Amino acid sequence: MDFSAVTAVLASKSYDKVADVCDNLMLQVAADGVAYQDEWPYAIHLLAHIYVHDINSARFLWKSIPSSIKETQPEVPAVWKIGQKLWLRDNAGVHQAIRAFDCSPQLQPLLAAFSELYTKEMFQLLLSAYSTISISDAALFLGMNEDDATNYVLQQGWTVDPASQMLIVKKQPVVTEQKLDPSKLQRLTEYVFHLEH
Amino acid sequence: MDPLEALVTQIQGLSSTPSDVTRLHTILKQSDDSLRSDSTRLSPLLSQLDPSLHSLGFLFILDASTAGPVSKTQAENVVPIVTRFIGACSAEQIRLAPEKFISVCKRLKDQVLLLEAPIRGVAPMFTALRKLQVSTEHLTPLHSEFLLLCLLAKCYKTGLSVLDDDVFEVDQPRDLFLYCYYGGMICIGQKCFQKALDLLHNVVTAPMSTINAIAVEAYKKYMLVSLIRHGQFSTSLPKYSSSVAQRNLKNFCQPYVELANSYGTGKIAELEAYVKTNAEKFEFDSNLGLVKQVVSSMYKRNIQRLTQTYLTLSLQDIANTVQLNSPKEAEMHVLQMIQDGEIYATINQKDGMVRFLEDPEQYKTCEMIEHIDSSIQRIMALSRKLTTMDEQISCDQLYLSKAGRERQRYDFDDFDVPQKFNI
Repeated sequence: MDFSAVTAVLASKSYDKVADVCDNLMLQVAADGVAYQDEWPYAIHLLAHIYVHDINSARFLWKSIPSSIKETQPEVPAVWKIGQKLWLRDNAGVHQAIRAFDCSPQLQPLLAAFSELYTKEMFQLLLSAYSTISISDAALFLGMNEDDATNYVLQQGWTVDPASQMLIVKKQPVVTEQKLDPSKLQRLTEYVFHLEH
Repeated sequence: MDPLEALVTQIQGLSSTPSDVTRLHTILKQSDDSLRSDSTRLSPLLSQLDPSLHSLGFLFILDASTAGPVSKTQAENVVPIVTRFIGACSAEQIRLAPEKFISVCKRLKDQVLLLEAPIRGVAPMFTALRKLQVSTEHLTPLHSEFLLLCLLAKCYKTGLSVLDDDVFEVDQPRDLFLYCYYGGMICIGQKCFQKALDLLHNVVTAPMSTINAIAVEAYKKYMLVSLIRHGQFSTSLPKYSSSVAQRNLKNFCQPYVELANSYGTGKIAELEAYVKTNAEKFEFDSNLGLVKQVVSSMYKRNIQRLTQTYLTLSLQDIANTVQLNSPKEAEMHVLQMIQDGEIYATINQKDGMVRFLEDPEQYKTCEMIEHIDSSIQRIMALSRKLTTMDEQISCDQLYLSKAGRERQRYDFDDFDVPQKFNI
């Protein structure tokens, strides 16, 4: 089987495209009648779905994997462990599952990229959802020990409340593109004009 | 010369220009019966034809040779031939005999199911439906087959690709029913509940003269998805749906109607008890998973309701009112809802309080303007379509003769005309 497309997209670090490439390739080889299951890089495919947060697709893929493969390739259930934790929204569990996963060099860059992405997203979530949070909780969300987590958020301008030993979240002003294309405004004006007359 | 050999020669000779192909089509139609009676001798002939050049001839012979029932081993041989044909065939030629093409594709579906490998049919069926349809607005009978294969092969994401097309042309009502039903299931699997709701809505409100099983099953799922998405369900269907559906659908779905009533009370314990006692019925309909999602959506609904009343509320109070076990659990629920954009709030762990906020959207960003503009464009296109369709119908001979007759019988204004002038 020709996995060059998958390796190429992995090498180019466009990790968000891996899932689509894998999906299409799988449909193609299946249509050609190739018995692909034994050679298929299920671990990469699963992790690629997880990377783009398509946890539904990851779950359906997991369900379609033959049980013999789940038993013989320990990486596959290890990746799914991450998926399960995401499904259950067990944020600390996701980090634990990533740390506990002793993966092959082939999978390592994708896993590292996901781990980094997930930490960033968790930080964004904390930023949007909390005004104060305990250090231990923040550490769990970010998947770090308490000292690292404190340093990480202090760099982002958060402060520690000395009395309660809680982190005070510093909201960042959201910068959005406000510059308007005058032609767009013109069009909307025409619609309104049309409706009123 | 053997008639079959002669036919092959004719296929080879008459496959280049459109007029030749039309002549060939007539010849093939005439020899269809003899082809069927000779079905056992046909497979070797296929090797003499090129599926991309002689698509029409290939199609007729392929259809005749695969007409009978097949064993598993035979299917193993036939599936690659059909797959290769679908990939190679010329769209212009196969559109001359759509019913043959459809029957060959449906057999492909049956055979991959026989081989217990539905995934083998997904890509070919997609190619087939794209080749068969004149435009993306055209719903073919292969759409539902494709979606069914996607469901069985668990390739839900692939199924979503055709569901983005807007459908305006349908050949058979059954195609639409199945397309929307399977499409709804695909969207439920991918948790696109709004899209699922739209599709299932199309099934239950579609014109029908008698109740059908697809509509009943769709109605059950429609109720559940509506509870998950909107937190409410009304059993009365819109006026434009068929009277049969309005009168009868809910009678077939009694356990679901009661579920919706129980949901309406907002009491989680009652709902859970009801689901527990009726679990078997839901399980029998393969809807238990969806029912469980309904139950868990109730926590969200109750929290959302709180945002309408309070500006700030302690986690303990939230846990008490929505019947969660601990303030921590309430915090996790609120957090998830913030993450999904379902509420706007900030959690203050120090004081154990939640502050509910207004929707920060101010409708003045570029993105929003873009969104509004594209929505208006879509609606304008739709309105143009509706006008053309209306014009078409008002020029339709059948419609006019029927409408004309009824007008004479019922419209008294016609007889009143002279009186109007008396004034």
